[in-house]
Amino acid sequence: MIYLDSAATSFQKPAAVAYAMSRALRTMSSPGRGGYESAMAAADTLLDCRLALADLFCVKDPERVVFTSSATHGLNIAIRSLVRPGDRVVISGYEHNAVWRPLHGIGARVDVAASPLFDPDAALGAFRRKLPGAAAAVCTQVSNVFGFILPVDRIAAACREQGVPLIVDASQGAGGLGLDFDRLGCAFAAMPGHKGLLGPQGTGVLLCGTALPAPYMYGGTGSVSDQAEMPDFLPDRLEPGTHNVPGIAGLLEGVRWVSRKTPAALLAHERELLAALSELLAGDGRVRLFAAREPSCQAGVLSVQFRGMDCEDAAAHLAARDVAVRSGLHCAPLAHRTAGTQREGTVRFSFSPFNTLREVRDAAAAVKEMLA
Amino acid sequence: MHYLLTYRSLTYAQRAARILERAGVTGTLSRVPKDAAKRGCAYCVTVAPRHRDRALAVLRGAGLSPERVLLRHDDGTWEAVSP
Repeated sequence: MIYLDSAATSFQKPAAVAYAMSRALRTMSSPGRGGYESAMAAADTLLDCRLALADLFCVKDPERVVFTSSATHGLNIAIRSLVRPGDRVVISGYEHNAVWRPLHGIGARVDVAASPLFDPDAALGAFRRKLPGAAAAVCTQVSNVFGFILPVDRIAAACREQGVPLIVDASQGAGGLGLDFDRLGCAFAAMPGHKGLLGPQGTGVLLCGTALPAPYMYGGTGSVSDQAEMPDFLPDRLEPGTHNVPGIAGLLEGVRWVSRKTPAALLAHERELLAALSELLAGDGRVRLFAAREPSCQAGVLSVQFRGMDCEDAAAHLAARDVAVRSGLHCAPLAHRTAGTQREGTVRFSFSPFNTLREVRDAAAAVKEMLA
Repeated sequence: MHYLLTYRSLTYAQRAARILERAGVTGTLSRVPKDAAKRGCAYCVTVAPRHRDRALAVLRGAGLSPERVLLRHDDGTWEAVSP
């Protein structure tokens, strides 16, 4: 199989990920539930993972690195902590349903700062116009549909100027793009463990700013146990219940691998693959590519439409040729609305550090065979 | 007799133990005895009396001062002492 759906989940992982998970299952119990060896081994793994993530994302205090089950879980915590019914919340035109639906569920007034695809200056301008008086803002670092890199640094600065707390959805950026969390001064950044960080499914991370977030779930934390209220300190306040220790052990190895290789090198590799696929498919009148003129605006995600062919049919044809891609709206109808692709959807090719140029050439050949 | 440097959070206690280890101060991470824990489960780093002052100075420098300092006697009784 040629796996080109890493924007959904990275499928190939460093070998150390599976090994660490298996070892955790054999040797670790639950942190904070006892002083015996297996509990302490689990606690050490969690702290090692917090420290590795704090280092990668420039968070001074590892306590502000909170483990979640997914980016969606983290975004729900962040949004519930900041937004009340009726609040006006500014979001980019490229947000995922993991942002749109929680805001809708709360009853917030969602104010979309829509801007053209691959135009970072326009994205910043749209935020600047809408930020005054907003209760909060949410911005994805990278569009999961188009790979468009939004200017999160500049949007964060605009939010700071206006005193508007910012939530960054780093789901597609983490592991490829840098994120200097403390310098950005945002309220939260949420990310999955199972995409660019190369950890297993069921892991996620929420980076928290210096303000104490509201609790989201309630339960045992192995700390201040005789009080009814959740602890007033992180990470315990946001981590009730039993941790996914095998998952976090795997995530730790994924983060270590990414840190060793460096996100910049991994992004460069994915951009090389994206450029190669774009070049191989360009020039065919039946193919519409969503590729940025300026490569620095796009991460390793390429959306495509095939004229006269439904995107689901195209993905099914490719799957039959052992090429795994994602089709449809990619859980991001807002992004399609913004780009004008909501009716047809797109076929999305997304890359990982383990993909090769040969795989890209074979995938392009499969597309040409499909169109023939 | 030894000192217990207590924390409400396991994560803080772990960090304290690692910082002391890096500073060459021997300390053991464990749970706070039930009758000494003010509000249920808590964690501590145990240090020998001769290491107490240096341990507290190192932790203060790292922004990880303990919540309380307890002196635990050999018979299991304890008393809170000023850090």
